[in-house]
Amino acid sequence: MTTATTLVPETGFIRWRSVHAIWWRHLLALSRVWQVALTWFVIEPAVVLLAVALGIGQLVGEMEGFGTYAMFVAPGIVIGTAMFHAIFECSWSTFERIGQSYYETALTAPVTIPEIVLAELLFAVTRALISTVAVAGFAIAFGWIPLAALPGLMLVSVGVGTVFGGIGLLFAALSPSMHALSLVFTLVATPLYFFSGTFFPIAVLPEWLQPVAWAAPLTPLVELARGMALGELGRVHIYCALYVLALTALLYPLAVHLMRRRLMK
Amino acid sequence: MIAIEARSVVKTFGALRAVDGVSFKVERGETYGLLGPNGAGKTSIMRMLAGLSPISGGELFLSGLNVAEHSRAVRARLGVVTQADGLDGELSVRQNLEVFGFLVGLSRRQARIRADEVLGFFRLGDRASSEVDELSGGMRRRLAIARALMGEPEVIILDEPSTGLDPESRIRVWEELAELKRADVTLLMSTHYMDEAETLCDRIAIMHSGRILDEGTPPELVSRHAGSAAMDIRPNGSSRESIRRQLDASGLNYREVGALFRVTGGHGAPPALPTIDGIQVTERAANLEDVFLALAGRGLQEDQA
Repeated sequence: MTTATTLVPETGFIRWRSVHAIWWRHLLALSRVWQVALTWFVIEPAVVLLAVALGIGQLVGEMEGFGTYAMFVAPGIVIGTAMFHAIFECSWSTFERIGQSYYETALTAPVTIPEIVLAELLFAVTRALISTVAVAGFAIAFGWIPLAALPGLMLVSVGVGTVFGGIGLLFAALSPSMHALSLVFTLVATPLYFFSGTFFPIAVLPEWLQPVAWAAPLTPLVELARGMALGELGRVHIYCALYVLALTALLYPLAVHLMRRRLMK
Repeated sequence: MIAIEARSVVKTFGALRAVDGVSFKVERGETYGLLGPNGAGKTSIMRMLAGLSPISGGELFLSGLNVAEHSRAVRARLGVVTQADGLDGELSVRQNLEVFGFLVGLSRRQARIRADEVLGFFRLGDRASSEVDELSGGMRRRLAIARALMGEPEVIILDEPSTGLDPESRIRVWEELAELKRADVTLLMSTHYMDEAETLCDRIAIMHSGRILDEGTPPELVSRHAGSAAMDIRPNGSSRESIRRQLDASGLNYREVGALFRVTGGHGAPPALPTIDGIQVTERAANLEDVFLALAGRGLQEDQA
């Protein structure tokens, strides 16, 4: 008899093997297309970073309290890119796996929906981390971010993975079609990418729009990343961290609920 | 020893009763078939057993474990092949097996060894490093069955194992399933092919509209509902209307299927046919299809009543 047939206790616990195995499957699938993945993680963000920092940066010049525009914008682009990876993984890829009965097959093993959701979030975190190391690596090489900030940025990317992995899962679970799913990019990812203090300080926005921008889920993560990059962390960053934790705590059970509704009929 | 037991199981989707109070028992080592048309409730029963679908009423047991309460433990003892195959197109053939083996609880090393075993058993060894998309339909189905065997399950559920396969692949799947049966694995399968049910199953439940119409070994069912001998009548000059009238008058059991009138109910000898001109008669042994037509016909009449 193998371990598979030993009696596993039932509910109210997470079987880590399930999470580990699904996470491993995703990593294996990603590593099999590593040549293409390399362009997502390195070439695309490098183009954005160079265009914005070197191009627009020439027009903007120094920014009060941040140094050059490149130093201001680099942490924003690092976090914004990580967000796209986390969202893409948990919306697009998850939606495709639903369609290909991947989860249905996984659920025939002793696996539960919370374990599937945790594995998806863990892989969103993994992708966010890979992206952050790649993009921040670029910015570090150009001297726009200090090397010492890298661990801090990676820590922030964990939050990016859980929050935007969670948002991605909501869309994957609710979307009836690929068309509907694309709304996660047009309605969520793209506006957040530009309006969360990534490319310009929120203070320059019209006054009525500022509270909205502050409440946006990417804003606290960009703030935290910028604090890490500048080595200046204050009370506002504690609020940001609490906000990220609260969002994660809210999104996880919601994603479990919606995925269960989607997968169990 | 009972491997699977269903007690008045019900599955509802809104107002629809997809499974409407189904009870049956499957002995360990037995191959049990749920036979019926699409929409009969076969897949719903299997999905409930596999924990993929909540049970609306009644109870399901696997090896004495209540499925509703011990879904995880049940699935640890179960191998499931769904209609969709659910093969992972982003992984190779071998990786499909190893990753699933790891998921059910094998170590990476055990999963590698077990993958070799099942690849050998299903004669897929030379396709181990292929992409799933490169496999034929028959190979895909066999890989899906191989994957279900990774955790050495006590019971295997197969939802229409040969649907969509060409005749040769079908027979190959049948041979391999028969091999599993010799290894004392319990199989619960659904099918809408009479020949498949007759070839593979020890016992069959004939399902229609969420209910089991009758249950038994294939020969039992045939003799109970279709007698031992049957005949097919093909019009050859005579009008269908006239044949119909004469058969009705004779009181014989018959069904019109396509161009044929299928007459059943002969015991020991073919049904005693009145003399009808302008027909061509073929005598044959009664089979499950006759049973199904007889039972489902009755079921349909009840539905309309």
